[in-house]
Amino acid sequence: MKRPQKTCAICESGVRIVDFKDERTLQRFLTERGKILPSRLSGACARHQRQISTAIKRARQVALLPYVKGHVG
Amino acid sequence: MTHQYEVVYIFDSTLEESTINEKLEKFHALIRKDGVDAPTVDHWGKRTLAYPIQKKETGSYAVARFDAEPSALPEFERAIKLDDGVLRHLVVVHEGAQAVPVATGKSDEEDDE
Repeated sequence: MKRPQKTCAICESGVRIVDFKDERTLQRFLTERGKILPSRLSGACARHQRQISTAIKRARQVALLPYVKGHVG
Repeated sequence: MTHQYEVVYIFDSTLEESTINEKLEKFHALIRKDGVDAPTVDHWGKRTLAYPIQKKETGSYAVARFDAEPSALPEFERAIKLDDGVLRHLVVVHEGAQAVPVATGKSDEEDDE
């Protein structure tokens, strides 16, 4: 039996283009190790998943999000 | 043809507000074109970085948004790279991205039919 499809959190909030500076929302799409969640787990629609992944990569570049979380370095 | 650009700067946290503004003024003078409104600068102040950059844990962030000629950008970027007060910068074409409202679903313009 196919599980009901999770609605896309970004579509619900009516935002059309995800902003890379908004790391509070982007954090929800990271695992606790800091990796990008696949859309089957994050429930994001394809369009927003693509925007989220580029936004996360840009946020990592300006040190708003970590590349790896919790590593002893 | 001017495009809208958005630049995120990370300055060394030891610099005060005044020196940061001076540097920003210097950079923005390079892309300033008459008839185009001045860039809007938004200072986020000092924040801890997600990972150390150049052995520093904190940096002061500044976000600038402006219209500029694409031909003026290489000169602008070179000036930023030469300045060692800037730890890192990121220039992005601004396509109307906006933050997701925290209380998702309760944004006022949403009419619940």
